[in-house]
Order: sequence, then structure tokens, then C-alpha cells
Amino acid sequence: MGVPAFFRWLSRKYASIVVHCLEEKSKECNGVRIPVDTSKPNPNEVEFDNLYLDMNGIIHPCTHPEDKAAPKNEDEMMVAIFEYMDRLFNIVRPRRVLYMAIDGVAPRAKMNQQRSRRFRASKEGAELTEEKAKMREEVIQRGGYLPPDEIKERFDSNCITPGTEFMDNLAQCLRYYVSERLSNDPGWTNITVILSDASVPGEGEHKIMDYIRRQRAQPHHDPNTHHCLCGADADLIMLGLATHEPNFTIIREEFKPNKPRPCALCGQMGHEIKECQGTAREKQGEHDQFADTMPGSEQEFIFIRLCVLREYLEKELTMASLPFPFDFERSVDDWVFMCFFVGNDFLPHLPSLEIREGAIDRLVGIYKDVVHKTGGYLTHNGFVDLERVELIMQAVGVAEDNIFKKRKDDDEGFKRRMKEKKKRLKAERPPAYLTGGQFAPQALGGRNRPEAVQNARHQAFDMRMQHNQAGGPSGAQEARGMKRKAEDSDSEPEPEDVVRLWEDGWKQRYYKTKFDVDATDEDFKKKVVRSYVEGLCWVLRYYYQGCASWKWYFPFHYAPFASDFKDIKGMFSDFEKDTKPFKPLEQLMGVFPAASGNFLPGTWRELMSSPESPIIDFYPDDFALDLNGKKYAWQGVALLPFVDERRLRAALADVYPDLSQEEARRNSLGSDMLFVKKSHPLCDFIKELYLAESQEPTEMPAELCHGIQGTLTLDGDPILPDKPVQSPIPLLRDIMTNSAIGAKFLDPQFANDFVFKAILLPKAKMPAPVLKPGDWEAGNRGSWRPQLGFNSNRQQAHLNQSAFRTLGHATGRSHGGQYSNAPPPGNYQDKYRGQPYRGGSQPSYPHSREQSLLGAPPRMNQFPRGGRHGWNQATQDQRSTFQQQMNRADSRGGMGSYNQHHNQRNDDYRNPRGGQQQQGYNPARSYPPPPEPRRYNRN
Amino acid sequence: MAEERRGEDIVSEYLGQNPHLAQWVESFRGYCETNKQWSARREFILRNMEAFPTIEPGIPSSSLDRLLSLSMVWANNVFLGCRYPQAVMDKIKDMGQGIVVEDAPVRSTRDEIIAKGKRSTSSGPDGDNCVKKAKVGPNDGDGRPAGKAAARPACQKPGPSPQAPAQHQPFFNRLYKAVAWKLVSAGGFGPNLDHYEILQSCVESCKQSLSCVFVPLKDIPDLPASRVQKEGQVCELRCSTVYMGTGYGRDESAARAMASKEALKAFQGRKVTVKICRRRYNGTDVEDVMLLDDQPRSQGFPPALSYPFQADSGEDGAS
Repeated sequence: MGVPAFFRWLSRKYASIVVHCLEEKSKECNGVRIPVDTSKPNPNEVEFDNLYLDMNGIIHPCTHPEDKAAPKNEDEMMVAIFEYMDRLFNIVRPRRVLYMAIDGVAPRAKMNQQRSRRFRASKEGAELTEEKAKMREEVIQRGGYLPPDEIKERFDSNCITPGTEFMDNLAQCLRYYVSERLSNDPGWTNITVILSDASVPGEGEHKIMDYIRRQRAQPHHDPNTHHCLCGADADLIMLGLATHEPNFTIIREEFKPNKPRPCALCGQMGHEIKECQGTAREKQGEHDQFADTMPGSEQEFIFIRLCVLREYLEKELTMASLPFPFDFERSVDDWVFMCFFVGNDFLPHLPSLEIREGAIDRLVGIYKDVVHKTGGYLTHNGFVDLERVELIMQAVGVAEDNIFKKRKDDDEGFKRRMKEKKKRLKAERPPAYLTGGQFAPQALGGRNRPEAVQNARHQAFDMRMQHNQAGGPSGAQEARGMKRKAEDSDSEPEPEDVVRLWEDGWKQRYYKTKFDVDATDEDFKKKVVRSYVEGLCWVLRYYYQGCASWKWYFPFHYAPFASDFKDIKGMFSDFEKDTKPFKPLEQLMGVFPAASGNFLPGTWRELMSSPESPIIDFYPDDFALDLNGKKYAWQGVALLPFVDERRLRAALADVYPDLSQEEARRNSLGSDMLFVKKSHPLCDFIKELYLAESQEPTEMPAELCHGIQGTLTLDGDPILPDKPVQSPIPLLRDIMTNSAIGAKFLDPQFANDFVFKAILLPKAKMPAPVLKPGDWEAGNRGSWRPQLGFNSNRQQAHLNQSAFRTLGHATGRSHGGQYSNAPPPGNYQDKYRGQPYRGGSQPSYPHSREQSLLGAPPRMNQFPRGGRHGWNQATQDQRSTFQQQMNRADSRGGMGSYNQHHNQRNDDYRNPRGGQQQQGYNPARSYPPPPEPRRYNRN
Repeated sequence: MAEERRGEDIVSEYLGQNPHLAQWVESFRGYCETNKQWSARREFILRNMEAFPTIEPGIPSSSLDRLLSLSMVWANNVFLGCRYPQAVMDKIKDMGQGIVVEDAPVRSTRDEIIAKGKRSTSSGPDGDNCVKKAKVGPNDGDGRPAGKAAARPACQKPGPSPQAPAQHQPFFNRLYKAVAWKLVSAGGFGPNLDHYEILQSCVESCKQSLSCVFVPLKDIPDLPASRVQKEGQVCELRCSTVYMGTGYGRDESAARAMASKEALKAFQGRKVTVKICRRRYNGTDVEDVMLLDDQPRSQGFPPALSYPFQADSGEDGAS
């Protein structure tokens, strides 16, 4: 959903829906990365059945990341995508299904948004390149240093659109990836993988929804499947709620606002391209060893538990003394519907409803007020009751006037406060006589002990000269600059808002400026309202039943007012039936600006630029942007012309013969693919199909695959066990011993007029409640306690005294002091592992040795004396067993891994003394015994 | 207004005479088109139909689609604010002649908004007055640049008035002081300063503004032969028509920095003087008002890049 604020609002209001992910990191030993064994229990203390990846949310950050340097070429991008997926797989550890969905051709309703994004992206890309070149020149002239410009083509993110060569390559790479992991990764052994690439029409998340919906509707579906959907869009939350599955979790990257971005030019953090000095890089760390690491580099993931959100909503939406029986499931659907008013990808949001202004709360309030009048729910299975919606709209409409006035007041209040804050901050700036650099004052007891001052004379000299050299964009002139800025911002002319929604006559002005019609033009107003009503029906249907019409779209740039929704009951009956999606290349013609024409065949491209083209009007060079009360260009409404489907198709009919065979293939509709490993029960079934060369689609036997149904068809160029799979990426090796098998897969089909029921399935068991019961304080009965993760019975970790001593010993004296035996921070384990024991001088032990240790019970020992080589080569199994123990112990995992280090080290080391020690301890103990005091000194 | 009436009248009269056309044309109306937009576009279609002789009413054809497309281009340009490639724009400009749209909405395009944003957020070197003027120079068709600042009414007579030095001298005395103090606070004149920034801020503190004129080096006549083919930009700085300095650099900002450095050199002496001197401009000798220090000059002056005292400078400024 195009509402970035939605998730922020949701997670603030319903804080318990968020659970932080525990991620087991892979270890590296002597340059060899040891992958995490994902067949082991999930460290998050929950087991997921199905993992769905909305791939576009992965492709975009992997191909043009915002917070780190971009990959150099397509191969690196693919590898980045693979790594990202591995990460997700490791966190979620699905046990049944991995569903990967790439956006295919989208419904027409989405096209306007796609067009607007792509037209902007193309312009932004060109501007960035230009600015980079300019700044580079400038910096180099000033004598600055810049890393040489890699000779790489600018990656046009617009190529992440179905039908391009890039997407085709990506599909190939993913097939390779799936076969590789199925063949080699133990965690994938029992997984059924479904890959829905860009050649299958539909947006990724909606393809996923379609899959879930259709599986739910067939009798073999397990109603207690635990779904986990990956993606950052807020509408995934809506979609998840719309499924009415009891166990539905969303995983996404943790949203960190204002994340620092590296300068696009020199790649350093801390400034924008405009201020780039390109100066010699500061050393990162004493020997520049951290140069490539970002501070706090890796983005962490969070789970969003929809079952907890449902608990919250139940509390909020439950209404007593209704004229009809209260059905929570129905009210959830209404809630989802009302969220669409606030914004979605297919309709502009109503001018009076801003999520930041508590629009959803307002709507819920109105909903509960009005429900007595409406006499029922607003929606049913994704179909809208317009009469009831009108009552809601009218109630919003009554408040509209006040909302606009309040918005203006708030806005002014905010500006005033900001001004005051600025003033205050200015007053609080440290005085000029404070020294900087090495002489800067250091807080007492700070984490970093100040280092001894080095080369004090030179520093002092620098400080003296600082003022003299202050030319350039800083220094003497800066003070002046600051002052002027502060003054300027007072008078900075904001773009004039001609609509002035807060003044009388706003409606007339709105229609005049936005739609260019007089307020008296009721017909036109009605047209807009009708389209919007259709839109609401379309969107809801899209979420609950699938795409009702591939053709429908909202043909305006702005929404009407809530108060204009009058007599909407008869405005909508049904959508055009049997509409077909565009072909991939047709859609490219519909969403690309002429500047991205290089993704299209020559004659097609010409249609985008030639004055003689019969569709030249779709491709403006530049377009008007209406900030619509917003501050930044990217928030504004791009006034792009709409595509006339008839003319587009007519124009393309002439150039269709020019497609090469390859392009024609890319332009065709593809099919979902299903993959399993040789050992999977379904594999033999598919193999039989290939042997029989049956051309008929065959029903999948439900019992072979956890009740999943669908039809299988043979693939033209299949992936078969023991048939080597060629790597499409030079960086990666071919799979010589392949054990994956693939076939085309089609979701279960239902009759055209089938209605998917938005209900809980009969045998569904709701997960244990998380929230505090409403009467808990009053009654003070029941055994409720706050829950942090998925498991309400998670074990608390305890360290006994000796453990603290051990810890304090191992982490060294640098952290000494009275607090040194405080438990370490959460990710302590990794850091800890890296530092104190680094530098074992001997080569690692051969792997066979480690294998022999497998399964051996952990043995305890005290610290060895000398080299600790090989300890961190602990075999995977052993390691993760501990890992789990440790994580269960509230993630303060010092103990678990610590414990293990000892064992491992000792095993490898074969210290005779250690051997003796060993006898004395009970191997089954979970905590290591305290080391003998006398050994301390030796370490 | 009256004209538009006529336009509309003609259209309705025409359609009245050809009722079969009316219905056909009506089928081209877009669902989201307002009455105003549609009547204008309809006029556009009808007016230009003759130019597409292969169009037959009621029969779809690619030439019809081309006309429809151009009509949309025109309407998008007028009502939505879209811009198209120049060739297309030229075409619809011709085709749309004579159609009067009353009260067409005023929109700012994305490029304009971005450019504006850049100007207001950027600080220092890209101070706004300069950017605007800088654009004028190189874009001038005949290669003879003229700053927009030159359009001040007082300077429109040919050649500087004899009183000019006396008029400008007090201002430059003030500027001299401002510069002196500024340089003191910046640690003295030296190679590491942002000369342009210093000069500009001093000029602004004296309630004046600098004007920069940029010319590609290769466009300058009167250059020694050895330098002719070199790439780069030359910048000339003036303040209220008084010449201050010229500089060369690889790009505009480098040239400007160089020119500012030259200009600041004049402030290193005990005083600055405004004088009328002869120098080359556009291949001829002209009289120019220049800011000089008290040192005797060994070389002549570099050729002027702009000449704010010409009779036609008003036009340049206005263009």
C-alpha cells in the first residue's frame, strides 16, 4: 500500500504485534563460511510451515541498495538476491512450502502508479548521474580524491518490470538457486518450492494471496498451517488479515527512519552528494580495516504477528448490544475496507483522511457509531454494501470541514514549535572555546577510554590553523551561513496552496484547481465519485476474491470529498467479465517513459518518441507535479496522461511482427513452477509424469504434499534429478549432482462465480492469546504475563556467579570495573567469538575429525593454555544445538556458546591435562563448571 | 474571450451541419475529460482533420489514431502541463494555432520543481542570482552572451557615462572595507579560500549583487592562437556594471572561482578605484568601467565578455 505511514502507525498503536527476529549467523572459519543448518529447530521458538516471498521487496534493495554501494553487475545482483533469500530462509525455516512470487503484469488499476513511479525513477536516475559527474569534476578540481569511477552502466531500476531481459535472467537464476539449495541444503530437504516468476500475471503479493485462498478453499487444506509472508508493504497486513488464517505472520526489515546513506559519489557516510569533498578517506579503524563496513550495517528483521493484531482489533471493534449478532471476522473485513479509504495503490486517498491525523481511529469511531444505523456489516466476502458505506462517508463528510481547519492549525503549530526548537538548539550549541579532536572533552566513565594524545604539537598547530583554512564551504563563512539560514527559513516562501482547504469555499476551489471544473458541474463530480466507488469495490474484491477486472482503473488523479458520496447505492453493479491482462511487453509500453525505451525492441521504442507515432501522447518528456500540500517532490502527484488501451493495442498490432523469437517468448504468459527434492514423496510422482510424457495436466495427490493441491504439467526444459543444471552466473558453479525435480504448477481452479469465503475454517485453532485480558487487573486472577516472542513459556536465562567470573575472565580486563560481570549485550556472542581467541596459529583440523565429534556429548573442561585453533570449527550440529539452548535462554547466549567453545577447543586440543580434568565433570550439565582459579593467570 | 466564442461557435455550427460527424467525434471523448477540455480538444481534432486526408469518419485507421494522439498531446500540454520532445511540441504548436483556451490551469512541471528545490536548498557557491544569469550566457543563440543583470535601465545607453566612476566609487570603497575585514576573518588572502563565496558575501553585505557571465573559451575572439582550441569556460564578474575580473576554468564554477580570485586581487592594494578604460570586446575596442587597484598595470586587460552599455542590451536582458 502506498502508505508508508501505515505501518508506523500500526506498530505504535499495537506495539505487541512486533516480535524481533532471532537470527543465527553463519560462522566463518579460516575463510570458509559454514552455513547454518536450517533443518534444526527455529531459534525463534516457533515453527513456520509456509514461507512466501514477495520477491520485488527483495529485488529492489538487492539491485540498487540505498544504504550501501550498489552491486557492480547483474551477476553480483543475483548473488545478493540469493544471499538475502538465504537469510530469510534461515530466520523463518519453513517446513513445508517456499513460495517465491515476482511481480508479473499487474492489473490496469495499478498501471497508473507504476507509470508514475517509472517516469520519476527514470528522471531521478538521469539527474543523479548528471549531478555525480558535475560534483566529480568539481571535487577533482579542488584537488580532492575520489575512487575511480567504475565503468559500469547506470542500473536502470525500471528494468525490474515484467518482460525485460533482466527479469527473464532472474527467473533463470532463481531456478538454478532452487535446484542448488534443494540439492545441497539440508534445511530444504522436505520443502516444496513454488516459483511464480514475472511471466505469470499478477502482482507478487496477490499471486501469493491467490495461492493461499485457493488452497484454503479445497478440502485437504490444513487449517492450522502457519504462514509467514515476507515483504515490507503495509498492504500485506491487510492481505494477511483478509485470509482469516489463524496463524499468519509477516516478516519484514525493521524500519529505521533516517538511516544514513552513503554519499553517491565517494561512498562515505555522513554527507550528501552536494557536500561531497572527496577528501582522502578517513581511516576507519587504526589500519582502515573497517573501511567497508557500515556502522550498524545489517538491517534486522521483525515479525509482525497478525494473530496479535487480531486480538487488538477484537478488543477495539467488539460492540455490545448490536441489533445483529457480532461476528469478529466480519468486522475485521470492515476494518480492512476502511483502511483503503486512507490510501492504497489503486486509488488516491480521500483528502480529509490522513493516516497521521488518526484517520483510521476516526473511521473506527464512526463505524461503531453508525453501525446501529447501518444494521449490518459494510462488506461480505469482499463485496461492498454501498448503502452502508454511504452512511460512513456521510459521517466523515460532516467532519470534513473541521478536519481541514484543524489540519491547518496543527500545521502552523508545528511550524511554530520547530522554529522555537531551532532557536533553542542554537542557544545550546557548545561554546566555541571547547576544543576538538584529540583534546575534545571526554565523558567520565564513557565506553571508549580516551587514547593517549599523539603528536600534540601537530594537533595544536592544526587547531590554530583551522580558522585560517576555513575557506571553502565551511569555517568563517559557515557562521554567517547558519545565521542566514535561520532567517531565511522564516520567510522561505512555501509553495502557495491555492486550494486552501481550511477556508470557506474549499470544495469549489478544490474542484477548480484539481479537476479544472466548476463546482456547479455536478455531472463531472458524480463521474469522479462513481469511479471512486467502483474503485473501492474493485480493491476490496481484489483482496478477497482476486482480480475482478484486469481493465478497470481509476481515471483521475485526485479523489473526491467524503461528503460527495451521495446516492452511491446504484453507482456500481459489476465489472466487465473475462478481461485479460496485458502481455508483458505491452505493459512495458504502458508504464515506461521513452527514456527507458532501450528495454524494448527497436520499432516498439520508436512508438515512444516519433512525432508520427499514434501513441506519442503517452510519453511526455516532462510532466506537471502537484505537491498537493506536501513538501517533497516525491510526495507529489504526477499528472501523467492515462493510457488509452484501444490505441495502444492498435499501435502495437503493427509492430508485433517485428518481435524476435526470443522477444516473443519473453512476451508470452508463463506458468508457476513447482520443485521438490528427490527424497520428497512427490518426486516419484512427478518423475512418473515425465516418464509417461503425459501432456495432460495432472492433479496433485493431496496426501503427498501436506494437503497442497493443484495441477502439474510437464516443463519444456525440465530440471530433473541427476541431470546437471547449468549455472547462469559465472560466479557460481554448475550443479553436477542435481537432486531437484520441477514441473509446471497451477493453483486449484474454481468456477468463475465461486465466492471464496472470508471465514475461519472449521478446525482452525487460534493461537494462545498474548494481550493482557481486559479484566486482569480488576480480577487479578489468571496467569497472564507479558510475552516477548512467539513462545509464552520461554525460559529465562540465568548466570550463576561462577559463570559471571568466567565471562569476566574471558572478555578480558579492558571491560574491568565493578560492572564487568553484567551480562553482555544481545549479540555479544559473535563479537566475543571473534576477538579474544583470534590468532590460533595452527591450521584447522581436517573435517573428518569434526565429523567424528558429531553426536559426542558435550564435555566440560577448563581453559586450555595455549593455541585455541580449531575451536570455532565446531560442527554445525553441535553448534546449533547449543545455539538453541542458548537462544531459548533469552538470547543472552554467552553461556551456550561459551560452553561449547570449551568443549570443542578441548576436543581439538587434546590437552592431556584437560583430558584429566574432563573426567571430573558431568557431561550432561548445562553450565560449565568454574575454571580452577590457578588457571586464570595463565590465560 | 471573443475569439474563443467564435471558435466554439464555428465548431457547433460545423457539427450542426454535419450531424453524422458529431456522434462520431463524440466517441473520442475520454471518460475523465471535462467539458472544457473536451470542447477544446474537439476543436483541435476538427480543425486538423483536413491535414489527414486518409481519415474517414466512422472507420478506425492509424492516421486517425495519429490525429487523436496529437490532440491528446496538445490537450495534455495545455491542461495537464506535460512537455513532449521538441519535434512533437513544434508540431502541435502549429496544429493548435487559433484555438483559444480560456483560463487554462497553470502547472509547474517536475523539472521546474526540482530545479527550484535545488536552488533554494543549495548554499554558497550556487547562490541563486548567479545561477539564473549563468544560464543566459551560453544559451544565447548568437554566441554573444549578455548578463541579465545588464538590463538595468541606467545602463542602457551606449557606452558608460563619464560620471560612472564617480557614481560607483563610494560603493566600492565600502566594498573594499567589507572585503578587507572578511579576508582578515578568513585568515588573509590565499589560495585556499573560496574566493567566490567571499566576494559574493561581501558584495551582498553591501546590498549589491554579483553578476557572472560565462562563455566557452573557444567562443572568445581575440585570443592568442595557442589557446583557441582549448576546452573550458571563461567567467567575467561584474558588480553594478563595473568590471571586476575574468577567470578561466574547466567548468563554470571553476572559472567563476578564478575570476573571483582575480577580482579579490584588486582588493589587496591600499585602495580600489573605478575607472573608464579601453579594452577589446567582440573584436572592437570599447570603453568599459573597471575596478582597478593602485598598482600600475603591466599587461593590458583581457577582452570583455559582456558589455552592459550597449543600446540593445535591454533586449538581451529581456529575452
